[in-house]
Amino acid sequence: MESKNTMVEIWGDVIKIKDFIISVIISSIFTMGAYFLAPSGEKIRELFYGLLGAVVGFVVTNVLIKPKRVIIFEENLKENKE
Amino acid sequence: MDSLLILKMILAALGAVVLYTFIGFIPGTDETSVLMPITLTVVLSGVEPIVVLTFFIAAIVTLNLTNAIPTVLVGLPGGVMSSPMMEYSLFLKDKGLSALAIKKMAAGSLIGTVISIPVALLLAHILAPYGENIQALASLLFFIGAIFLSLIGKNKILSLFSIIPMAILFMGLRHLYWGIGIVPRDKNITTSFFLGITIGPLIVSLLSLLNKRNRESMKVERYKRVVIPDKFAAGNAFNPFKILTKSEMGKSAIFSFMASFLFVLSPVGLTILLGETASSREKDPGKKATTGITVMSALVQGTYLSGIIIPLIALGIPLSPVSIGPGSALFNAPPVFTVNNNIHHVLTTWEFVFAILTGAVIAISITYYITNKLAWEISTFVLRKIPHEAIIGLFISLILLLSYMDAGLINVFGVLLIGITCGTLNKLGVNYGVQFMTLYAAPWIVEKLILL
Repeated sequence: MESKNTMVEIWGDVIKIKDFIISVIISSIFTMGAYFLAPSGEKIRELFYGLLGAVVGFVVTNVLIKPKRVIIFEENLKENKE
Repeated sequence: MDSLLILKMILAALGAVVLYTFIGFIPGTDETSVLMPITLTVVLSGVEPIVVLTFFIAAIVTLNLTNAIPTVLVGLPGGVMSSPMMEYSLFLKDKGLSALAIKKMAAGSLIGTVISIPVALLLAHILAPYGENIQALASLLFFIGAIFLSLIGKNKILSLFSIIPMAILFMGLRHLYWGIGIVPRDKNITTSFFLGITIGPLIVSLLSLLNKRNRESMKVERYKRVVIPDKFAAGNAFNPFKILTKSEMGKSAIFSFMASFLFVLSPVGLTILLGETASSREKDPGKKATTGITVMSALVQGTYLSGIIIPLIALGIPLSPVSIGPGSALFNAPPVFTVNNNIHHVLTTWEFVFAILTGAVIAISITYYITNKLAWEISTFVLRKIPHEAIIGLFISLILLLSYMDAGLINVFGVLLIGITCGTLNKLGVNYGVQFMTLYAAPWIVEKLILL
């Protein structure tokens, strides 16, 4: 059954397609949004605004999306076995 | 040189260390795609060339060591350059020797850096008198380079076949932009084409998700299982001379020395070739693995540093895989740098030495410390807190920004076209090196083609 919750492995790690689309949209909006806020014609200013937007977008997606990893500590594994 | 400039260089090196420590700990991030766009942004931001160089050197030294950490700690390669170490790393991890492996890697990295910088500087000095002659032949050499890299690549015939079509693709887009007047005729769009090539394989993977059958085959049911070993039971040795055996130290030094002479070859290829040669003599599997990862970490630093230092100082054109890929922004990033006016032309020999040493010394001392003391903490933090989606999202938005800045909306799709084409070729075995060389040789190839 196809659902929005499909997860795939890409670039060596697992992503959920829905979360990935959200992340691309948020990052792009922040980056390009900030870029267009910059006074036009000043290339360096535009670049900096865009980068700043990218960083803010990255922080926002980090808050909204949880990593798809199960972290297991070897210590606990051993304790459980005992 | 005034103290403000020195301060800026130190800050640039520290910034690179912080940034690339985190990026390095993220598994799976390709070196070219994380080094090139950020270096390009630093260049375009208009800081002094010497500061750019310091930043770049600190970035590669940091990334080369921190990339190795997730490889050993959780069994996911940090980047392309750490993939040769996977087998040995997994062996040592299974034996519960992760902590020791990380220390050996750090020490190997330190040796690689210390040996390769003076050797590369010396080689650059020897080659420099020929630099101007070589520059005059640049286009031809890029074409030969593309052929050479095709012949040592995975899919030789396809690589050779793809050179001219790719050149036509690049020139076709440039002529389109000139034709509709979005780019002035004297300007060659290069940087965003580079990014298109770099991001190509990722774009192809993402787009293939749109195909139902492909999606089924890439589907996973569970979260990625990551086992983090105990918080280190490998003693507190910090002195590289105590961490490494004499043989490991000697081999690391000799092989990174040799690697510097082979700077035109692929760094990952050299790391596999020389690293395996060094470890193949060891009979005991444990010793073989520790020798392997030590020498390979030395080689990763050695190949990268010589691959950037020699072309930069002696040649002024990016004639090695490192300089044409991750380091390309130092050679060509219009309007700041062009092939005829880049870091090679604006810095004096002493400025080169000073920038390289500042970047490398700051980076290797901090990352050596971090790797020895904080590897576990940072790894746990990154794996727990940073979602993979956010990282890919960040890279896609950076590419979007830089493509738009280069030639507007149409170029966003132009870069997508390049990404799809080159990414597909890449997956079929045409490596980055061939594609980058072709991008540089494209005007020449097309010019000669119509004469035939």
